[in-house]
This record gives sequence, C-alpha cells and structure tokens, in this order.
Amino acid sequence: MKVALSTAAAPGLAAESLVAFDEACRRRGLDGLELVLGSASGGPDADPERPCAAARAAGLRVVALAAARVDAATAPALARAAASLEVPVSVPGAAVPEAELAAVGRAFARAGGRLLLAHGSALDAVLALLAAVRAARTPALGLAWEVRPSSESLDERGAILLAARAELGLVRFFGGGPEQHDQGGRGVGSFFHELALSRYDGPLVLHPSGSAALPRWSRWLASHKSAGCGHGHDARAIALDVRDVEPRDRLDTVLGAYRALGPGATLELTLDHDPSCMYYTLRATEEEGSFAFRTVGHGPEVWRAEVTKRGART
Amino acid sequence: MSGIELDIRLVPPHEKHPAIFRTFDALGSGEGFTLVNDHDPYPLRHQFEATRSGQFDWTYVERGPAVWRVLIGKSRA
Repeated sequence: MKVALSTAAAPGLAAESLVAFDEACRRRGLDGLELVLGSASGGPDADPERPCAAARAAGLRVVALAAARVDAATAPALARAAASLEVPVSVPGAAVPEAELAAVGRAFARAGGRLLLAHGSALDAVLALLAAVRAARTPALGLAWEVRPSSESLDERGAILLAARAELGLVRFFGGGPEQHDQGGRGVGSFFHELALSRYDGPLVLHPSGSAALPRWSRWLASHKSAGCGHGHDARAIALDVRDVEPRDRLDTVLGAYRALGPGATLELTLDHDPSCMYYTLRATEEEGSFAFRTVGHGPEVWRAEVTKRGART
Repeated sequence: MSGIELDIRLVPPHEKHPAIFRTFDALGSGEGFTLVNDHDPYPLRHQFEATRSGQFDWTYVERGPAVWRVLIGKSRA
C-alpha cells in the first residue's frame, strides 16, 4: 500500500516547488504525492499532459492524479496523462456526465489509463455509482473512496467494503498527519482495521480536512521531528503531558523522564491512549521491582498514570 | 492475493493498539500482517509478549529512519 499526500496540502504551490514537497513527504515516510491537476498549471481546463510530463522529468514520486471533471471530449488527454505516469486519476463521481460514462471509460481503456470515480461514505450513493461503473463494463473504471471522519459517519464502512471492494482503486483520507489527534472516537481505527483485513493494497492519499487545517499541515511537513519534553532532576514529582509529543518520540520522552527521576520521585503522565504499552516497556527495560505503576484516570479521551521510582532503602 | 497491511500512522493515538490487536486476533494461525509505523514499535512488542506470549512472531522488514515495517505473524497452533 502506497501512502501519499495530496498537493492540496500546499495549495498554490508552484510547479518547481513540487520537488521540495515530494522530498518533505519522503522525510515524513510517505511514498509520494497525489498531483492535483489544475492547481499548479493554470485553470482546471489546462492541458493535463503538461504537468504530468514535467512531473516525470523531475522524477516526482506521483502515486495518483486528481482532476476536477472529465467528459467524453476531455477524456483522451486525461487518460494519456494518467497512463504516462502509470497511476490512476480520480474525479468526483458527480463530475462525469452519466450519459458519457461509457465513452469516457472507452477512452481510458484505449490509452491504458484508469479513471476512479470518487464517492463518500454513504452506502446508497456508493451503490448507485457502483451500478453506473459496472454498466460501463470496463476495468478502466473504478471507485475512489473519500473518507471524511471529521464530518461524515463511517458506520456503513463494512457494507461499502463488502459491496465495492473489487472496484476500489484509491482511498483518500481527510485527516491523519497533524490531524490524527482530533479524529478519535470516529471509527478511524476500525476503518483501517477493516481496510487491512480486506487486503486493500491500492494508494492511500492523505488530504487536509479543510482549509483551516492547512497551517498545521505545512508545519507538520516542515518539521519531521518534534521536540521532546524538559527533564526534571531532583523534583519529587514531574508532570509530563505526552499528548503534545509526537507518537514516535513518546516512549523515549517517557523513559528519559523516568530515568531522570530521583529515588522516590513520581512521574505524572497525561496521555491520549491507554498507558499499558508504557507499563510493559518499563517492565521489560527497567530493573524488576524498581518502579510502581498506577493508572489513575481512564479514557476515553484522557488517561493519567503515575510511575514512582522506588527509593534506595536507607 | 496481497497481504494484510495496517498503517497505524493514520489512526488516532488511543485507537492504535486496539486496532493492532483486533487485526492480530482476526488472523488465522500461520497468517500474518504488516504493521507500518513512523517509529520503532518495540513497546508494542513488549505488550505482545505480556499478553500473547508464544502466539506471535515479530520480523522487522524495514527499520526507519522514517518508516518501520514489522511482519507480525500468528504462530501455528
């Protein structure tokens, strides 16, 4: 599964800045980018083959293309653009005239490209689009699932996967990255669990949930490592809120703070997840009986735990 | 058929471990899944050892610096 970031995370980006965007994605561990056509190349009706040729020449890791619309007249050029990069292109499902869908599909089949019609998480709408795609009878057409956990219920995800898994060619996820902390309790964990069990292996494109989130995405892309916390030394209690620490730095931060404790001192942790993993890690890495671990507040959003370093007996 | 891949980077913090253990528990014996993360998930391994001792194997496929991939298999019964 390739995970990419939509260039919608950096709207107005000049074409020559895409190399730096791709490099920032690489530092963040992403497999590439989704190129939004029309954003860096003038109007939405501009020739889609030009930015794709430039992307290929620059060696960009383009995982998918996104276009605003397509019809029978514009399909051949868009299909050639997608085929030249060997990636699928998605358009909003409602942006393809239904009467032209078969002709659009044929244009993609001829060029060797794949067109994915984007839908949300409402089962009825997915089934209607699925019927239209199947009626066109070409594997050049498929579906792109836009998952918006912050604004749309994911309750029908299981039925959608069951009905449309074979046609699903792309998942666009509105969130993740710097927004993952805001998306608790909305079924995101279950969604990815079920997507994994369905053996989905197509592209997964991250996309900001809205323009209000853009500044956080640009900071997230610019800094690939967050600062840890301060260390206390002789204090009897150190409070450490790890919610602001990036997940990958959390354990080092907690272990560092624990090791800085004096004998008998307590580390008061505030977390946004069950602290069991920290308990098991301390148990595995620290001397047996050297600490006491107590969970003092249980979720669903905030957990608190206290780790006391046992003192040398005098 | 392609393998099962769970990218835990996209899951909100307190749903990460439940999603991982539910995926593991749904596997048949001898099956496995690839866990993708943005840091070394060794704390999780300690939790597996404490709660599913002898039932799993753990193989690093990629070790950073930006992405870690671990193949977590369910041992044959």
